[in-house]
Amino acid sequence: MGYWFQPNNQCDIAISSRIRLARNIKGVPFPFKMNAEQIKQINHQVRDAIANSDNSLAKKLKYIEMENIPEIERFAMVERHIISKNFALNYQNRAIIISDDESICIMLCEEDHIRIQVLESGLQLKKAYETANAIDNILCDSLDIAFDERLGFLTECTTNLGTGLRASVMLHLPLFEANGGIKKYITNITRMGFTIRGMYGEGTKPLASIYQLSNQITLGITEKEAIEKTTKVAQQFIESEKEYRNQLDTLRIEDRCMRSYGVLKNARVLTSDELMSRMGDIMIGISLGIIKNIRYPMAIFVSAQPYMLMRKYGEMSPESRDIERATMIRSLL
Amino acid sequence: MLCEKCGVNNATTHIRTVVKGVVCDKYLCFSCATSEGFKSKELSQIMSALLGEESNNQNSKIARCACCGSTVAEIAKSGKCGCSECYNTFYDQLLPYLKKSQFGKTRHDGKLIQKIKRIQQSKEEEIEELKYLLKKSVLEENYEKAAVIRDKIKELKEET
Repeated sequence: MGYWFQPNNQCDIAISSRIRLARNIKGVPFPFKMNAEQIKQINHQVRDAIANSDNSLAKKLKYIEMENIPEIERFAMVERHIISKNFALNYQNRAIIISDDESICIMLCEEDHIRIQVLESGLQLKKAYETANAIDNILCDSLDIAFDERLGFLTECTTNLGTGLRASVMLHLPLFEANGGIKKYITNITRMGFTIRGMYGEGTKPLASIYQLSNQITLGITEKEAIEKTTKVAQQFIESEKEYRNQLDTLRIEDRCMRSYGVLKNARVLTSDELMSRMGDIMIGISLGIIKNIRYPMAIFVSAQPYMLMRKYGEMSPESRDIERATMIRSLL
Repeated sequence: MLCEKCGVNNATTHIRTVVKGVVCDKYLCFSCATSEGFKSKELSQIMSALLGEESNNQNSKIARCACCGSTVAEIAKSGKCGCSECYNTFYDQLLPYLKKSQFGKTRHDGKLIQKIKRIQQSKEEEIEELKYLLKKSVLEENYEKAAVIRDKIKELKEET
């Protein structure tokens, strides 16, 4: 385990994998119908279930109330993919249970009472599921989880019924995108029961050609099947992206990567958008062995996000952020 | 059309009387209709009373989830259930929505929670036991007992 943006292996097309399990407590209204008192009760029930467990995984987790986290840090957590934007906005009375390396985070009373999330770097859905499942077992053993023999785990939205499992893979597909691939395949992907969205999930634009592929079907399918199928579809994307990369003119791609490297190394003002597109080139460069001295491009990418910058350097205007971003990137490269 | 009685005002009230199969239509203005005993106030009162009663009836007929108070219409509109009990209360009505959102699938095939696993395991064990007794009863030619056991096995299989 570790930060998803600081992988042990080389940066590649599959950036990270995420497993999310949605669970609820029986006989309690779902969060959108709950009052503050009910929310607190659920928070404490789950906190105690984890605290009273002998499982070694549970010992690594700590309970944090969202009201104790400053606004900038809350949104920086969204940029690090730990919590959802909605959760950062509606933080009142909410709480999380989180591991030190942030690879495990349980959001309490987001859309469902319990949302277990496990992040891993690269294409490692199976490993992420094993961790999520172990935490789920702790909760299912000690809490009265809403479950129906016909419909499985009961969730607020019918799209999560059954396994309550969402398996997502973050993919860097610049050449697939440049060749019009995403739009071409989107209908097929939907028909197969998958969805592909921007980096920050639902309704977001793809930044730096980074996409999120996730399964849509949760009923009438086992967790193993869902994970295997998602992995398979992700692998197909990876293969296509690799094929496009192999077709490239070596000199031209080297030129493109090194130009972007040059800009990032020398820029004095750097907007978030420009950084995104330049980092896309850097990532291709690392993947093809053209750029060798950058180990964690996603770590650079994430740390240059607006709230992550403000978390480090204090609150500032967008203009000052662009200057600070350029300075930081120069020092990192 | 002018009022049949006064011939001055516009006819706003249509009165149809049927006496021994003979239909008689009258088209009157508001004041003539009132003087003939068809008071609009009473009519409107009757109508509102009728409608009111009906809408009250409708209200009491609309099924609500005992746990969170949600109705099927609310769930269908928002795509959100109010609580886990909604699925039990409105199972039949929700099934078409589930089918739509889950690519036609309606039956869970994934993980079971331990408590349910234990119940299912004990049911399976019971079925095995009954199968053994069924075989024994047939061998003993005790067909009445065998039929009872057969039905019990069928029942348990349907539950699992």
